Amino acid sequence: MIFNSIEFILFLPVVIILYYLTPQRFRWVLLLAASYYFYMSWKVEYIFLIIFSTLVDYFSGLMMERQSSKKKRLPFLILSLVTNLGLLFFFKYYNFGAENLNLLFDKIGLSQDIPMMDFLLPVGISFYTFQTLSYSIDVYFGRQKAEKHLGYFALYVSFFPQLVAGPIERFSSLTPQFKENHTFTYENFANGLRLILYGWFIKMVIADNLAVVVEQIYASPENFSSLDILTGISFYSIQIYSDFYGYSIIAIGSALIMGIKLMDNFKTPYLAKHIAEFWQRWHISLSTWFRDYLYFPLGGNKVKLSRWVLNILIVFIVSGFWHGANWTFIIWGSIFGVTYLVEHLINRLFKLQKEQKPFSLQHLMLAFKTFIIVTIAWVFFRSQSLDEALQVFSSLFHNTNLSGTELSTPMFVWVFLILFMLSDFLLYNKRFDKWIAQFPLIGRWSIYTILIFSIIVFAGVEDFPFIYFQF
Amino acid sequence: MRLKIIYKTISLIAILIALNFIYQKWFFENDLQKHSDIVNSVRNIPNNADIIYIAESSNKTFREDDKDKRAISDFIGDYYPQLNLHDISNPATHSGIYKVLLASIPKENQVKTIIVTLNIRSFDASWIYSDLETPLQKSMVLLKEKPPLYNRFLLSFKGYDIKTKKDRKEQFLEKWIVDEFKPSNEFQFKNVREWDDWLATKGAKKKENGEYDKENTELACHYVKTYAFQIDTMTNPRIQDFNDIVELAKERNWNLVFNLLGENIEKAKELVGDELVMMMNKNAELLVKYYHNKGVTVINNLNSVEDEQFIDQNWTTEHYAEKGRKIIARNTAFSLKKWYDKDFVGVEIKNSKNYFIPRRFLIAS
Repeated sequence: MIFNSIEFILFLPVVIILYYLTPQRFRWVLLLAASYYFYMSWKVEYIFLIIFSTLVDYFSGLMMERQSSKKKRLPFLILSLVTNLGLLFFFKYYNFGAENLNLLFDKIGLSQDIPMMDFLLPVGISFYTFQTLSYSIDVYFGRQKAEKHLGYFALYVSFFPQLVAGPIERFSSLTPQFKENHTFTYENFANGLRLILYGWFIKMVIADNLAVVVEQIYASPENFSSLDILTGISFYSIQIYSDFYGYSIIAIGSALIMGIKLMDNFKTPYLAKHIAEFWQRWHISLSTWFRDYLYFPLGGNKVKLSRWVLNILIVFIVSGFWHGANWTFIIWGSIFGVTYLVEHLINRLFKLQKEQKPFSLQHLMLAFKTFIIVTIAWVFFRSQSLDEALQVFSSLFHNTNLSGTELSTPMFVWVFLILFMLSDFLLYNKRFDKWIAQFPLIGRWSIYTILIFSIIVFAGVEDFPFIYFQF
Repeated sequence: MRLKIIYKTISLIAILIALNFIYQKWFFENDLQKHSDIVNSVRNIPNNADIIYIAESSNKTFREDDKDKRAISDFIGDYYPQLNLHDISNPATHSGIYKVLLASIPKENQVKTIIVTLNIRSFDASWIYSDLETPLQKSMVLLKEKPPLYNRFLLSFKGYDIKTKKDRKEQFLEKWIVDEFKPSNEFQFKNVREWDDWLATKGAKKKENGEYDKENTELACHYVKTYAFQIDTMTNPRIQDFNDIVELAKERNWNLVFNLLGENIEKAKELVGDELVMMMNKNAELLVKYYHNKGVTVINNLNSVEDEQFIDQNWTTEHYAEKGRKIIARNTAFSLKKWYDKDFVGVEIKNSKNYFIPRRFLIAS
């Protein structure tokens, strides 16, 4: 059940109505049932993975809390890590490992052949395993008390709006909200609907229409001119942003109607002046996860320079690997790691630390530079293999003589693209629901009407699932 | 707060009505041409049509060496030169598509008789759950008898039978296991899967030197997967679609003819055996009886076309060479005599060996 489907349009109001009709102490039952139903709509069997992961982490948490020292808590933390990462590695990385080992065996003349597995990656596994891992680690360090109520804990792992593609929430921010008695408020209801509406718009009108063009380019880059390829790879930067941002704000809006506040996952990332800022604005819940549970434990920046450089590279490479089992993701992460370090060095050498005035020429030029770097990195992210990525770059630089363009982008797509980019400027450091609330009634409803009409009439009709579902 | 919500809901409904008007006036036609150009085949039918022949690719496919490459519907027209006969032909379509297309024929059209092809393969799981189904269903969304903006909403929010290739494959693979043959003592195999496995292991035919004939075995297995099923009138989705067509015909006062197409019975017998042929004929008889009871004229052409006339010798299709198309046309034309006897003109099928068609299989009306 995807957010831009009829099923979800029917499912969400039913859950919300039942939610407010149910007494507070039983709401966790309703939300848990709804979340499991939501997840089973992809593949029924995979619910057992979530249940298994939930039970292991629940009991690990309880056992850790009973121990007086970190040393005694360690075996339970290891149990949680091995279980969650084991599931993740098995489903996500097994074939990658087997393929590369087989290649290695082949090179050194061994006749070993590790079999490949043909199974569907459980949707959202990277998200919920990271979410539940953060809980186990926090309990281990004593930052979080173990949850005694299995139902609330299970709901924390599986809360449907953010189950399959985040935002990756921390236990301390999400679970207390399940226990609060939320009454229906018009403000939450209106803001939630506004976010859902805008999320549908940017996913269905922007991302899905751009996807048609991007698909053509990546299917056969050799047939397109350099200009077409440049258009295609730039479109992908916008596509992945609008796709994932769209998903995130629908998730945030859906939860908000029930009075539950999820963290913002995007803050106009393409207006970031440098890569470090980009990662403060892009997929915030993941970057803060890596900061808290990988970068800081590695020593953060309170170490020698050489170790700090290594820490940065490790974090970005692991982040790339988190996205998928492919060398393309590792290169994608490495590009960010290296550019992060280079920018840091340049900023220190040339003392470029001063804050730029928003939308000053300097800001816009720096943002454009960041966009170019990110767009280059996205080529690796989008490509199925290194060869494909190199083919895109090769065609970009060599097809300058190709004149007759095969690429056709409908005019309305350009119009909406410009509107979307403009809205990003307007929404700089703001969220759509708050931004639109400041307009007078006529202005608000005019925007709603345009959004509704655009979503219905100009939505892409090809089936492009949310990109981050594959992770 | 309640009043505020009610007031805004009413405003939203009013806006949607206005948007529907705008969409219908300035955007709908463009969308129709982009996403549902199949509608043009209905629009091309003149208001004074007497007969409409609706079919899949069987109607128009011909063999390169055919002297007369015209469609089955054209050959039927030869028997009734005074009547205005038109066809709606779209590849890979089936009753689920026909019913939407037929429903979109304007009520002012004077058509009296509708001939619908009844393709027995389309009742099989591998066609019902074919990956062609998603684009077909998508092309039908805008044609539904609902406000245009609502239909476009369904298209945008994927409110139709949309599934991935993998999902569809899983569906028919499962059907080949769970649909067991009844009565069980009549068949050597429990289901399609068992039959297919057995045939794949045994081999369909040995070459003269006794070697395993891979090509023929694959084709035999394909015949089993295509034809080894028993139509359940309670659960088969095609039945419901044809029933809807029957209801529509009653509502519009049309004469309704179901043209059950010929299959390559000779090949089925040669490759697989009598058991499969018997199953095919039982399905055909069931359909004839079922729709006869609903007042439909059903022409049973299942056994009408000889092996040589099938264009695709290495696959199961209803693509006939000239003589095959003419035989189907002749049988169909004869079934129309009860309504258009005075318009009927005899047409001779040259080089036709009198292909045997048991009377009981031919027409039920």
